[in-house]
Amino acid sequence: MSAIQLTNINKFFGEKSSRVHVLHDINFAAEAGQLSLVIGPSGSGKSTFLTIAGGLQTPNSGSVQLDQQPLYDLNTKQRDSLRLNKIGFILQAYNLVPYLTVREQFGLADRVKKHGNLTPAELENLLKQLDITELQHKYPAELSGGQKQRVAIARALYTDPAIILADEPTAALDSARVKEVGRLLADLAQSQNKAIVVVTHDLRLRDYADQIYEILDGQISKTV
Amino acid sequence: MFLALKEIKHEKLRYSLIIAMIVLISYLIFVLTSLALGLARQNTAAIDSWQIDRIVLNQDANVNLSQSLLTKQQLAGIKLGAKEAYLGQVAVVAKASGHAKDSAQFIGLAADQFVAKNLELTSGHKPTNKQEIVVDTAFKDDGYQLGDRMQLNSASKSYQIVGFTKNAKLSVAPVIYGTLTAWRQLKNMGPTFMASAIVSQDRTFTATSSQLKHYSTQQFIDKLPGYSAQNSTFTFMIAFLMIISLIVIAVFLYILTVQKLQNYAVLRAQGIPAKTLVGATISQAVVLVISGLLIGTLLTAVTAAVIPASVPMTFDIPILAAVALGLILTGIIGALFPVRLILRVDPVSVIGG
Ligand SMILES: Nc1ncnc2c1ncn2[C@@H]1O[C@H](COP(=O)(O)OP(=O)(O)OP(=O)(O)O)[C@@H](O)[C@H]1O
Ligand SMILES: [Mg+2]
Repeated sequence: MSAIQLTNINKFFGEKSSRVHVLHDINFAAEAGQLSLVIGPSGSGKSTFLTIAGGLQTPNSGSVQLDQQPLYDLNTKQRDSLRLNKIGFILQAYNLVPYLTVREQFGLADRVKKHGNLTPAELENLLKQLDITELQHKYPAELSGGQKQRVAIARALYTDPAIILADEPTAALDSARVKEVGRLLADLAQSQNKAIVVVTHDLRLRDYADQIYEILDGQISKTV
Repeated sequence: MFLALKEIKHEKLRYSLIIAMIVLISYLIFVLTSLALGLARQNTAAIDSWQIDRIVLNQDANVNLSQSLLTKQQLAGIKLGAKEAYLGQVAVVAKASGHAKDSAQFIGLAADQFVAKNLELTSGHKPTNKQEIVVDTAFKDDGYQLGDRMQLNSASKSYQIVGFTKNAKLSVAPVIYGTLTAWRQLKNMGPTFMASAIVSQDRTFTATSSQLKHYSTQQFIDKLPGYSAQNSTFTFMIAFLMIISLIVIAVFLYILTVQKLQNYAVLRAQGIPAKTLVGATISQAVVLVISGLLIGTLLTAVTAAVIPASVPMTFDIPILAAVALGLILTGIIGALFPVRLILRVDPVSVIGG
């Protein structure tokens, strides 16, 4: 039984002659305790794949199961609450609220999800691991791209989600940081039994993955 | 509330500007309302002070006191009780050396009837003969003193001020109280004319003559020359200002929301309910409007303290509070426009890259 299972997913964009088939019969499963990596070039359908897996956009056909629940049978409110409680999104761009300090980004999460977030000690530890302890009272505009990305990772992990979906989480990081983030994600998957899916074109993350998939022109295949 | 306050704190300049707009609008509305009330008061203050429920006028007078005359013959069958009084009205120009000419309303009264009896003076005494008058304190502000004499219209004999009374204003002119005999003289009429009107504190009082007609005080006031027109002018101005403030608030919040949509999309992707974001926008509108109102109120209070007495402004707290409440509602309605945007925000739009 998989944490996330996509079965025969198809996704089209546009109408009639301009209709594009972006995802072809995708079958994919991510297991708890594993870091699954989906590697593909720009335009291959990675983000579309991730948003469908996370319940953000509806596929034209096929089904998504999240912890055995058929995601697209739920209504918007139920999907919101599922995202809030079970999924942590790490987005590449614009993922922080500009008028909240780093610290307050976590405070906002506390307000909408009252239970099951990291304890202060756990958060302290996470911030240290990501080397952003010193940045807590800064606003996003005062951070570098890489710092923002690490804060976004911390924000996604803060609600202690069972499933983590990351879109290019290392795009703005140098090799040393990529190693750290790779190690952190692999370690989280293993020690806390989380299901982590990372879509990326960053081959440097391969070393930390338990499963590696390749996506090309909307077709997914497992590599060995 | 958390998001609303944090954002206001972080974007001080932007939100100060919006608050400044609301301050100006609320100040303008408060001042206009006070002016409207003040002018309305100047139309009716004397009538209010008589505390009457009915007025009887000649039926051909078109509910206009200055067009109405009651003759002895018309009044033949009518008995006045303790709650009725004759009123003789004539518009006059008061002049005296050393003073500018003043337009005024002369009201002739019978000394033994309730209006004259209940007249409250701030100084002096009530008229004891036809050359004595009691005048509104506006004359005092103009430099007249007890014992001073003034000329009314082109009457040959002058009149002596023997008393002052407060809030005696009719149709935005100060009132001069005198006797019915003086009224007849000023009107150049013989003794067959008794008065302009009968006023009564009894709401069931009726005139039995077919040539007379009774009206409620409100009917009478609504027909005061210019009164209704003036009131509806102010009402329209205030209503338009309310609509303008609605538009200002709606447009500002709309623009701000458009700029924030990407953030909202991220928050929605994280599973933060739309309700939280809608709440932030509405509470932001309330915070902005209330801050603006507080400063606007402060400015209004300062204005009330320094405004010269000659400017007809009345600061009526319950009415101003109702206006303030209206502005808060306006703000909330204004905030509802961008709510549509928030509800439709698509979390996918920020994930791409
Ligand atoms: N909303 C949309 N409407 C129409 N076409 C879209 C839409 N979103 C994505 N596409 C198309 O679908 C294809 C896959 O897009 P997607 O964003 O999933 O690619 P990606 O693998 O994430 O690329 P990148 O590495 O550049 O982020 C692209 O050809 C893109 O043009
Ligand atoms: Mg992408």
